[in-house]
Amino acid sequence: MVYEALDFYDVDSRLTEEEIMVRDMVRDWVEEEVLPKIEDACHKGVFLDEWRIALGEMGVLGAPLEGYGCPGLSYTAYGVICRELERGDSGLRSFASVQGSLAMYPIWDFGSEEQKNKYLPKMATGELIGCFGLTEPDYGSNPGDMITKAEDKGDHFLLNGAKMWITNGTISDLAVVWAKLDGVIRGFIVETGDEGYSAPEMKGKHSLKASVTSELVFQDCKIPKDRILPGVKGLRGPFSCLNNARYGISWGALGAAQACFDSAKEYALSRIQFDHPIAAYQLVQNKLAWMLREITKGQLLASELGRKKDTGDWIPEHISLAKMNNVDIALEIARMARDMHGANGILDEYCIMRHMANLESVKTYEGTHDIHNLILGRHITGIQSFTRSL
Amino acid sequence: MVEIAVLLKQVPDTNAKIVVVGGRVDESAVTSWVTSPYDEYALEAALQHTEAAGGSITAITLGPARADKVLKDAAALGVTKLVRIWDDSWQDLDSKQVQSALANAVQAAGAELVYCGKQSADRNQGSTGPGVAELLGAGCVVEVSEFDAAGTTYLRPAASGSEKVTVAAPAVVTFTKTASDLRRPNVRGIMMAKRAQIDVVAGDVGSSTVNFNGHSSPAEKPPGKTYEGSGSVPEVVGLLRDEAKVL
Ligand SMILES: Cc1cc2nc3c(=O)[nH]c(=O)nc-3n(C[C@H](O)[C@H](O)[C@H](O)COP(=O)(O)OP(=O)(O)OC[C@H]3O[C@@H](n4cnc5c(N)ncnc54)[C@H](O)[C@@H]3O)c2cc1C
Repeated sequence: MVYEALDFYDVDSRLTEEEIMVRDMVRDWVEEEVLPKIEDACHKGVFLDEWRIALGEMGVLGAPLEGYGCPGLSYTAYGVICRELERGDSGLRSFASVQGSLAMYPIWDFGSEEQKNKYLPKMATGELIGCFGLTEPDYGSNPGDMITKAEDKGDHFLLNGAKMWITNGTISDLAVVWAKLDGVIRGFIVETGDEGYSAPEMKGKHSLKASVTSELVFQDCKIPKDRILPGVKGLRGPFSCLNNARYGISWGALGAAQACFDSAKEYALSRIQFDHPIAAYQLVQNKLAWMLREITKGQLLASELGRKKDTGDWIPEHISLAKMNNVDIALEIARMARDMHGANGILDEYCIMRHMANLESVKTYEGTHDIHNLILGRHITGIQSFTRSL
Repeated sequence: MVEIAVLLKQVPDTNAKIVVVGGRVDESAVTSWVTSPYDEYALEAALQHTEAAGGSITAITLGPARADKVLKDAAALGVTKLVRIWDDSWQDLDSKQVQSALANAVQAAGAELVYCGKQSADRNQGSTGPGVAELLGAGCVVEVSEFDAAGTTYLRPAASGSEKVTVAAPAVVTFTKTASDLRRPNVRGIMMAKRAQIDVVAGDVGSSTVNFNGHSSPAEKPPGKTYEGSGSVPEVVGLLRDEAKVL
């Protein structure tokens, strides 16, 4: 059965023929290969390797990057891919975001020619998995103060420190790690198997259970000199990656919201209480109308931001606004949908609670909701309020 | 090396609601059009056949501009030659007219084998394959469920069990659902499809010998019966056993 997406203002009519074909390809795949398996994967706490293979075969990894075997799609297409994946599960979209925007992108933008040729073609096919190590146990929202450091030892670099909350860490073949070299943040490529490097999985998550989250530990980790990303210094490096990933999330969250809305609508129409479907009651209709309203606004926001990304006419604050808004409404919609499903809403028979729990992570990673408020606040007032020292 | 023409028909999505207005299916009310499912199996068989034996595929459809979509979808799977047959003056072509237009396109494509679905999901007549074979003077194997990717041997149902046949070209083969998984497109294919050229051809289909009187919707199904209370259990069990024969 063809999934009819909720698209009240027909926003997808702005898509090109190619973008529509990509959307349908990913949508069908999610319908057939992800939705029937996702609850089981969550119970087991695994990301299925067949999903990695399929994403590589479909050719959607690193979607907007060009050359070096990368797909070369538009940013809008990348957004649409994220939306369709996250309708399946935020963990699936996280995999694609990290691979494409956080691991492939820095190599593509800041890597040497040799690094691009060595890693990108195989990352685009999913043969190599990448992760992105920025967050540390003591430095989340303020990564600028990170303590992981690199030392130049003449013929190699020596890395010491630890990263935490790293998506794909344990299953990755390479990590793009941000560390300080002589006090300046630089990007390094660490390969699985490098001496002094390990990536133990973090267990016990109630959220993003179908996604692998890990620590990265560097204990006198020795890497060759040609593994530094030559093209960038300072926080601009990781932040450029985050801009792209956050952009994808602003679309992705809508996929989760649409899944919750669809389920809530269907449930409300079929659940009879006090002799009528609950959908016949005004309070319930009010909730559905609110969901439709917020999803439609979010879609317009994402679509317009996609256009801006494609023309280059954007600033990071545009992305902050869309990421913050769309994740916020998606989470609220998931919570409201849970309420509308009554007790059934807590069962794994419905997607609701899974999306709701996932979106709690999505709200926090890639800049917490409030960090994006602070980014916008700074933009509006010209005064930064991240720290007390003004 | 084998030259295969695959006939692809665009039909309303099998879940789409069909509305009849003024004795005619209202096509403008159909929100989603898809490639007729059995045709997709024919295309998959053709892709496997040309992969194994070499050669090429021409995808042919007959329909208005919206039918380009089925050709583009085929292009995304690697088909490079795309033909759409249409003339804006055409209305309600009968089967023979459709078959003759398709047969002409098959000949123009120089194909020796024609693969298509055993019937379309909208009209279900099952006449296109055999009709095209007749016009081409070609052999015809219908309702194929298994095939030999590298050759022209096909399995089809027979009076008791199934029969395996090998045909010589030219031949028309119609497919039912096969065991093959339908392949998905990928981004590379979609990029190729974007650039793929569709040849739009018209043609003389002669005049129709069939008079079209009108469409009508199928009769509404009678409502199901409901049984309430534990007292009805013996009756329901009896009906399930004796009438529905599911117990
Ligand atoms: C499932 C998951 C996957 C992740 N994957 C990755 C990954 O692949 N790579 C990676 O590097 N990181 C990853 N992260 C880490 C993520 O980016 C961080 O969790 C995030 O940046 C927030 O950092 P924190 O958890 O340390 O929270 P903190 O920074 O400690 O924030 C705690 C609270 O304080 C608030 N706060 C902080 N500073 C201020 C301030 N100045 N003013 C007002 N409020 C403030 C925050 O908004 C938040 O509400 C992941 C996280 C999760 C949960």
